[in-house]
Amino acid sequence: MLEVAGRLRPYLRRAYSMADADPDSGEVEFLVRTIGPGTAALEDLAEGSAASLLGPLGNGFSLDGLGAGARVAVVAGGIGAAPFPLLFRAFRAKGIRGDLYLGGRNAAELDFRARFEGVGAVETVLATDDGSLGAKGFVTDAFARGAAAASPSYERVYSCGPMPMFAALARVVERVAVPAEFSTEAAMGCGFGACLGCVIPGTEKPFVISCLEGPILPPGKIAWEKVR
Amino acid sequence: MSEALETRLGPLVLRNPIVPASGTFGYGLEFTDFVDLSKLGAFCTKGLSLEPHAGNPPPRICETPAGMLNAIGLQNVGVKVFVEEKLPRLRELGATVIANVWGDAEDDYVAVVGALEGVKDVAAVELNISCPNVEKGGMLFGNSPSATASLVSRVRAATRRTLVVKLSPNAPDLVLSARAARDAGADVLSLVNTFVGMAIDPVTARPRLSFGTGGLSGPAIKPLALRMVFQVARALPGVPIMGIGGISDLSDVLEFLAAGASAVQIGTANFRDPGICGRLVDELAAHCRERHTAVAELVGRAQRSKEPGGEAGAEG
Repeated sequence: MLEVAGRLRPYLRRAYSMADADPDSGEVEFLVRTIGPGTAALEDLAEGSAASLLGPLGNGFSLDGLGAGARVAVVAGGIGAAPFPLLFRAFRAKGIRGDLYLGGRNAAELDFRARFEGVGAVETVLATDDGSLGAKGFVTDAFARGAAAASPSYERVYSCGPMPMFAALARVVERVAVPAEFSTEAAMGCGFGACLGCVIPGTEKPFVISCLEGPILPPGKIAWEKVR
Repeated sequence: MSEALETRLGPLVLRNPIVPASGTFGYGLEFTDFVDLSKLGAFCTKGLSLEPHAGNPPPRICETPAGMLNAIGLQNVGVKVFVEEKLPRLRELGATVIANVWGDAEDDYVAVVGALEGVKDVAAVELNISCPNVEKGGMLFGNSPSATASLVSRVRAATRRTLVVKLSPNAPDLVLSARAARDAGADVLSLVNTFVGMAIDPVTARPRLSFGTGGLSGPAIKPLALRMVFQVARALPGVPIMGIGGISDLSDVLEFLAAGASAVQIGTANFRDPGICGRLVDELAAHCRERHTAVAELVGRAQRSKEPGGEAGAEG
């Protein structure tokens, strides 16, 4: 009686932002934190294994309207930091000055932070819930302090992380009146607008379809009080 | 594509039996990067209502072993927007469109079917009387043969189009429901919709879906759906059936055809592999070519074989 590790789960694909991409070699890189059956299956893949990729799908962060010397902030929660080294390189190419606010539950959750070395973040502010790395507390609070002190002030905020972090950050960016782009998190069935599984309560209409209209959305489009 | 793939469903002749299922294929236009719509037998639209419908709050989906639960709640743009904005493009792309429709009450079904009357390039109407994820209508019509009969006869009187009725596997007796739909004027039966299921977060003890329950789909339900198709095909010979339930590869297609389906609908598999329907058409064509057979010969083969035994052979 032999058994190959069952493939009843995961059944669906998983949505990830690209952590790196090299157009010349055609290689793309993903940063994956193992938390459930989907990520575990990816972790179990041996080097050289085949995986099927559907993408790229959805929109990306926008640098439109930002000139050389513009100051922006990146606020990342845990593994949500994955796409940002790539964004910092895009900042550098345009002469945009970006600060990094990186938060997590503890130092271990931010074990990938070396990926940000050399990407050109002007300031790097770390925060952990337990204080094991950087400031003790939420990264959104660290950002609120930084935004209040920033001179000149931030022209835009980019963020990726869990929904509760977004909800807190949405209040901060509204208070400091900085336009923001949030890379939203919602379980996606298909990734291209067919299943309508990944909707988020909206302000302009009942639901925003995360995969189709996002996943990067301005926080003003989301009805945060209805987000579960 | 060859005549070998052609299949007849009552008044409706499809170029092949591969049909993406309602709710898993959007309005078709979401899939143009992945499949040539003109290559498919047909496709079933997202369930259309008379007015646009917002659907259920998230979380709406939840992965389960070999499948998923959904409680989308029939979010759709409404029949008017579909006809004005989606259908012209589908016409250009050469898609064969089966308009899936639903409502809260009989009058709503009649109204949405009425809104499609006279609209060109809709090959058939599929009545969704089996959605488990709305408070009113939906599955309520599918769970009682008398409610099914009443609704189907009213819609029958309102349209001359090919009328497909999509039945619920949650009905107490699917054969009774199927017979009620046929006797009330259904040309074709689609079976089956999703099975009502549930998932609970073990830590919070809250249902994983905001609606509480959801419809189970994917390979997990295939043997259940196959048995139901076999059973209805046996009980109601001559009624054209579109088989649905976890179909994910060519062998699944062949099994449903053998059970008695004249066409198959591919659902959840479209999510993980959006090109699957186009590929299944090619694979079925190759199969027919290599075996010197045709779809018409593949339909119902299991019905013709010797006593299948067990409950599947019993009528109703």
